[in-house]
Amino acid sequence: MLGLLRLAGFGALALILLYVMVSVYSRSVRREKLEDRAAEKISEGTLAAEDRDDYIETGMAAYEHSLRKKLIWGVIVVPTLTVLVLIYITNFM
Amino acid sequence: MRYVKWTFLALIALLVFGFLHYTLPQRDIVRIVNTEVRRVDFGENSIFWAAPDVGTASTTTNRDVRFIEAIRPNGKPIVYRNEDTGWGWPPYFKLDSSNLQAEARDLVSTKEAPQWVAVRHYGWRNEFLTIYPNAVGVKPVDGPEVRLIPVLNIFILTLLVALLAFLWRVWAQFRERTIDPLLEDAEETWDAVDERADAARDKARGLWGRLMGWLGKRRR
Repeated sequence: MLGLLRLAGFGALALILLYVMVSVYSRSVRREKLEDRAAEKISEGTLAAEDRDDYIETGMAAYEHSLRKKLIWGVIVVPTLTVLVLIYITNFM
Repeated sequence: MRYVKWTFLALIALLVFGFLHYTLPQRDIVRIVNTEVRRVDFGENSIFWAAPDVGTASTTTNRDVRFIEAIRPNGKPIVYRNEDTGWGWPPYFKLDSSNLQAEARDLVSTKEAPQWVAVRHYGWRNEFLTIYPNAVGVKPVDGPEVRLIPVLNIFILTLLVALLAFLWRVWAQFRERTIDPLLEDAEETWDAVDERADAARDKARGLWGRLMGWLGKRRR
């Protein structure tokens, strides 16, 4: 039982770390994309230079509710399911 | 220096290869001739043994271990141990050693009427350390020439490479967006400090120079 608890504890820790890393990365990539898009729009003249920060913050707010952000939960769900399936395949098939 | 670097890199590569070769599953086609249980006292080779059966006491220094004895198609022997890996490393989550022993026992065959079996296992057989690969599963196959494609290993290694590439991307993004701007800030601050230091040094040299000049005059 102790072994199972240890696996669950360390596994959860590792997966949470991975989740944080991926979500920080994903947010950073999205912000960079918005910055690039804003720069493009400013050079085209479709966005005023002083509205740049507004444009980026609106985009980030939209990201916080996007499907993409919810999909990051996959880095926790998929390995957990994999372990459960592995236990079944190794021992009961 | 170049030799040191290449030796170091080669050692690392060897270590990674050895680790993967030990841990990843492999399948041998063999003919099982016997299964047995014997007591093992673990010594300097204890790292190459897995755990006692899940749920049983884990503090003993010796215990009974199940073994599966087999003959390869080329006539050479190979002996597997059959131990639970439980919840530890490597992550096979094998809890059914007793059942596996029964399956292996069921597949025992003679030289005259061979029943060939694919044994999935990890680990190494080494006579100098007395270590055995750990059998994970047995499956009857048609004959010794059956071609087994290591789908699982291809999948795992691909996943590993993808994970490394992803970690590299994450690191590059982090450096570009977080570390580099910080360093630029630090550089600007440092430049400012440097300028002030230069100014102070000029001033100090002025004072020192005047002092030396004054001393020189006195000596003359």
